Amino acid sequence: MKIIHPRPNPIVAAMYTLRDMDVDVIVVHGPAGCCFMASRSIEEAGVRVVTTGITDNDLVFGAVESLIETLRMVKEKFDPKTVAVIGTCASMIIGEDMQAAIRRADIGCTVFSVDCHGCMKDNTSGAIKAIESAAVAGVIPSDEAKRQTEMMHAATELEKRNGMAARDYLSPTRGPTKMGIARKIIETMKNGGSVTAVIIAKKELIYRFADLFLVLDEVKKKVGGKTRFIANIDKDIGLPRIRRYANDVLTEMESKGVKVDEVVGGLDEYAVIGERIKDTVDKTPHDLLIVVGIAHSYPDIPKDAILITDQPRQLANYLNSGYVNSVGEIASHSMVMGTRNIVPLETADTIREMLREYP
Amino acid sequence: MLLIESSMGKAVRRIAIYGKGGIGKSTTSANVTAALSERGLKVMQIGCDPKADSTRLLTNGVKYPSVLETLREKSDVTLGELVHEGYGESLCVECGGPKPGMGCAGRGIIAAFDTLEKLGAIKEYEPDVIIYDVLGDVVCGGFAMPIRNGYAKDVFIVTSGEMMALYAANNIAEAVKGFSIDGYAKLGGLIQNSRNIENENEIIDKAASEIGIDVIARIARDPAVQRCESIGKTVIEGEPDSAQARSYRELADKLLSSSEDISGGMRCD
Ligand SMILES: Nc1ncnc2c1ncn2[C@@H]1O[C@H](COP(=O)(O)OP(=O)(O)OP(=O)(O)O)[C@@H](O)[C@H]1O
Ligand SMILES: [Mg+2]
Repeated sequence: MKIIHPRPNPIVAAMYTLRDMDVDVIVVHGPAGCCFMASRSIEEAGVRVVTTGITDNDLVFGAVESLIETLRMVKEKFDPKTVAVIGTCASMIIGEDMQAAIRRADIGCTVFSVDCHGCMKDNTSGAIKAIESAAVAGVIPSDEAKRQTEMMHAATELEKRNGMAARDYLSPTRGPTKMGIARKIIETMKNGGSVTAVIIAKKELIYRFADLFLVLDEVKKKVGGKTRFIANIDKDIGLPRIRRYANDVLTEMESKGVKVDEVVGGLDEYAVIGERIKDTVDKTPHDLLIVVGIAHSYPDIPKDAILITDQPRQLANYLNSGYVNSVGEIASHSMVMGTRNIVPLETADTIREMLREYP
Repeated sequence: MLLIESSMGKAVRRIAIYGKGGIGKSTTSANVTAALSERGLKVMQIGCDPKADSTRLLTNGVKYPSVLETLREKSDVTLGELVHEGYGESLCVECGGPKPGMGCAGRGIIAAFDTLEKLGAIKEYEPDVIIYDVLGDVVCGGFAMPIRNGYAKDVFIVTSGEMMALYAANNIAEAVKGFSIDGYAKLGGLIQNSRNIENENEIIDKAASEIGIDVIARIARDPAVQRCESIGKTVIEGEPDSAQARSYRELADKLLSSSEDISGGMRCD
């Protein structure tokens, strides 16, 4: 199938993966504007991103010198422990030998290259390249690399099955306001109903989605009802950085007296835990099901469930598929970059506001 | 505005010479340029090859800096730094390019054409004929540039009767036919640069008819070429009364009569 909506590319996926590995500096070997938006948000997360800023002259004559010069500047300015050089369309088409440049620059720390570019089809292929190169460079252990690669393959399959890669075109939508679902949640609980809330978070998005549990707890305290919280927030799975996210969020929840009832998988396992989440949900009956995050990883989700996604095109996908109670938490990703605390969810704030009308 | 400006430009013949590596494209092009220049025509020969050796026989062996070399050194180049005068007041341009195995030579051709166009080379020098001497095979989009986007109009392929030369000729012909759908260049014919192999004429005639074009000239293999080459000259300049010079002049006439004269700038209107 030919898919024509814009979507993340392999270079950006590689960059996010390098961020997950706590690489200190990413050198984008390409034109100055390449991946500029993603670079900025990755910098928010504490990783330095620089560009070799190659020009038309470099395209013609080769850009190895420019890369060597950039690496030396990186050494001088940041004195990093690990540096990753990633390819782009421009540098890879002209066959740049990034590894040779790294050897020649010889900046005395771990530097490895990721042979990726924008035209590798699935964006996860870039992430996999980053994982493989990092493993070879000894930045991540090889068994973790193997596991990460499997996760990436699963994520690719999931997107093709039910996600953004399952449709040839999806137009972005902002969807309905959060008023309708806010009322539904409060009313269900006020009538003594039970709500099962599931977070299937993709990594750092846990910082925003976790607010759902906090607000449901507030609703319960004010109007009654029952809650059950299920999330992929295992703090012993994944790369150190990802475990840190889980730890931050669990600690903050705990400080507010909120407990996750069932932990199913880690934050990087969103693509493989659907079945297990479903089984866990089905063990106990509920009156209302809310799924936030990668909801399409949950198999045969009932049509009356409330779905919350951060992706405007995914939202269109859910609404088109008959999930009328879907809302979007657009721009969540930029809000969580670099945070160490739970960020308010618009849905949660709407519930909070509405809750004031209740005695 | 652009339309009026370019349609006021005088008519130019835009000829591209392709062929297998080492087959004699540059030698043939330079001799044709020299022959046409002698007739009082203004000829611009543009070498589209990173080796930048297309016009060496027109400049007494002097190697001027190429367009890309110059651009690499400085951004505010002038036409005078890119276009050099050669034999018979011909205009010699070398696109140039990277060292073998580096960068992208094809992109280089595109960048060099862009620069010549931007600086208004055609308006400035008003050539009657432009000859593009293009590297071996159409390996990527950059080397197809002369036969796309309206640069060259008539393509001639230099070949001998050797199998690999004919094989390359076939590939080039295919590429040109592919682009002709978009109204770009068309095949003008084969130029036989003999290697004295057995039944060479028949072999080449057969190949030409298979491609569906004519053999417009048969150039003999002649030591005069090397003699003149060793003093940095074309045969036209070095041994003007020789039989070889005569056959280059005939070829030049043939190219004139089998190419189109179209107004425009670097590109046809
Ligand atoms: N008709 C001829 N008789 C004798 N020698 C010739 C003839 N034509 C070409 N040569 C010789 O063949 C050699 C290669 O020719 P030339 O450089 O013109 O080829 P080319 O096709 O431009 O090569 P390249 O693909 O490398 O640019 C020259 O050194 C020249 O001496
Ligand atoms: Mg040549």
